[in-house]
Amino acid sequence: MNTGTPALTIRALRVRRAAREVIEVPHLEVGAGETVAVLGPNGAGKSTLLLAAALLLPADGEISVFSEAARRNVQVRLRRQTATVFQDAALLDMTVRQNVEVALAMHGVGKAERRVRAEEWLGRLGVAHLAGQRGHAVSGGEAQRVSLARAFAVRPRLLFLDEPFAGVDHATRATLTGELRTLLAAEGTAALFATHDHSEALLLAERVVLLDLGRPLQVGLAAEVLARPESVRAARFLGFSVLGPASCALLGLRPVEGVSHAAVAPEAARLEAGGVPAVVRRVEAGSGVGRLLVELASGDTLAIGQPIEALRDSSMAAGCEVPVMVDQARAVWLAR
Amino acid sequence: MDLLLDALREAMRLLRTGDGEVYSITLRTALITGASTLVAALVGLPLWLGIALGRFPGQRVLLAIANAGTGFPPVVAGLLVAVLLWRSGPLGALGLIYTPWAMVIAQALIATPLVVSFAAAGVMALPPALHFQIRAMGADRMQYLWLVAREARLALFVAVMAGFGGVVSEVGAAMMVGGNLAGETRVLTTAAVPEVNRGNFGTALALGLILLIFVVMVSAMLTTGQARVQRR
Repeated sequence: MNTGTPALTIRALRVRRAAREVIEVPHLEVGAGETVAVLGPNGAGKSTLLLAAALLLPADGEISVFSEAARRNVQVRLRRQTATVFQDAALLDMTVRQNVEVALAMHGVGKAERRVRAEEWLGRLGVAHLAGQRGHAVSGGEAQRVSLARAFAVRPRLLFLDEPFAGVDHATRATLTGELRTLLAAEGTAALFATHDHSEALLLAERVVLLDLGRPLQVGLAAEVLARPESVRAARFLGFSVLGPASCALLGLRPVEGVSHAAVAPEAARLEAGGVPAVVRRVEAGSGVGRLLVELASGDTLAIGQPIEALRDSSMAAGCEVPVMVDQARAVWLAR
Repeated sequence: MDLLLDALREAMRLLRTGDGEVYSITLRTALITGASTLVAALVGLPLWLGIALGRFPGQRVLLAIANAGTGFPPVVAGLLVAVLLWRSGPLGALGLIYTPWAMVIAQALIATPLVVSFAAAGVMALPPALHFQIRAMGADRMQYLWLVAREARLALFVAVMAGFGGVVSEVGAAMMVGGNLAGETRVLTTAAVPEVNRGNFGTALALGLILLIFVVMVSAMLTTGQARVQRR
């Protein structure tokens, strides 16, 4: 997918705030039609990176949109090749239809065509019935649909998505993610997508940039990055348990040469009779699947994926002893 | 109580009999406060745009000055304008002292910080995402300013109302630079002061009542306008 003129090229990007460097990205590219997810915990700098890339924040370094350097005097024109959807839908205090039309007006679209395109896109996003309502009067999920309609209506060649579904309920989020995937594929729009949700990144993006403290930790194909963290920090953010040499020996994990730490995904660990004894510390809820966190005799914590119903069992209460095992073949050895 | 009733009777008599002088004073009050508010809006709103949306060193200092200006004593404003326009002053050659223009200048000086401060507060209260969103839509500078002003239109309306409120009841500066000349610079507030000095409380209260009716009418008009702006 990453062929031809890149939609976005970033080189030596630095963003400073209060005399502190909050973003430092040596290189990042989004190919034409490609979706790249910027994945990181809260405070990693995802939004700041996105705002800088969207030419909405002053930054040092080079940013090119479709190979045109984003010099100060061309930034408005370049922004008109892009669109941005924010976590806060930020609808203007006018009708839903006008919210879409005003964006089209800024792109020089004539009045008659504005109306047609606004209605077309509100219809495609399933909010045509809200066209006459005030932007401030619609629900969070509806506002995000309007925001997406506003973004797609201007036919952007590059879309910036800053955790667009973070503020909506789980079911709406799942639906919107699916719809967004379809739209991106149908329109062939390149996208840079900030999220802290692994499954969103996996579903939408071809490639993932793991961002931590404003710096990329790991960049690669989405499935590869999410399955094979390369560092302790990346592993921890991705929900892997990081086990030291003592834990590895305890669990019978044989390290590859030169490395001593293993990352274990919750799905690679299980409760099994005859396993290594560990003490339950707490349970964590997830959607459908939860995690049981146990402490090994070596002091490391191991997360074990479990169905939510199983976690309600009294044998999994904090302080209980459980036998655990780890699938050797699924352990990821960490070089750093 | 009798004094108040007498005042009410006197006010009604003045209004009923169509006292030419009272109507002329009321009309002059409307024109001078209207002009002052207009000048304050024309000067204050661009200043507000610069202060609220610009990024330059000293921005906070300017806003602090505007905020402090909301408490600018009208007498000091009047004194400043009087010194400037006095016949031997730097702008004395313009011959504006003791004219309605001098009153408009002094009152605009009082109203402008009110307009700037209220309007800036309204714009700064807009969600930060909105500023990013407008620029992200591809707005150029003018489109950005227009949309921000549109989003903050209620605050701008309130700012203009605050400016009007600041000058309509003001008497010190108007007296100092206008001189309360009958038929020329006498307005409702300055007309009431000498009546009190002479002990004509009835007439003074009547003028006060007319001023109150005037303020209520203008406020009602502005509130209706505000509601229309809100619906748009």
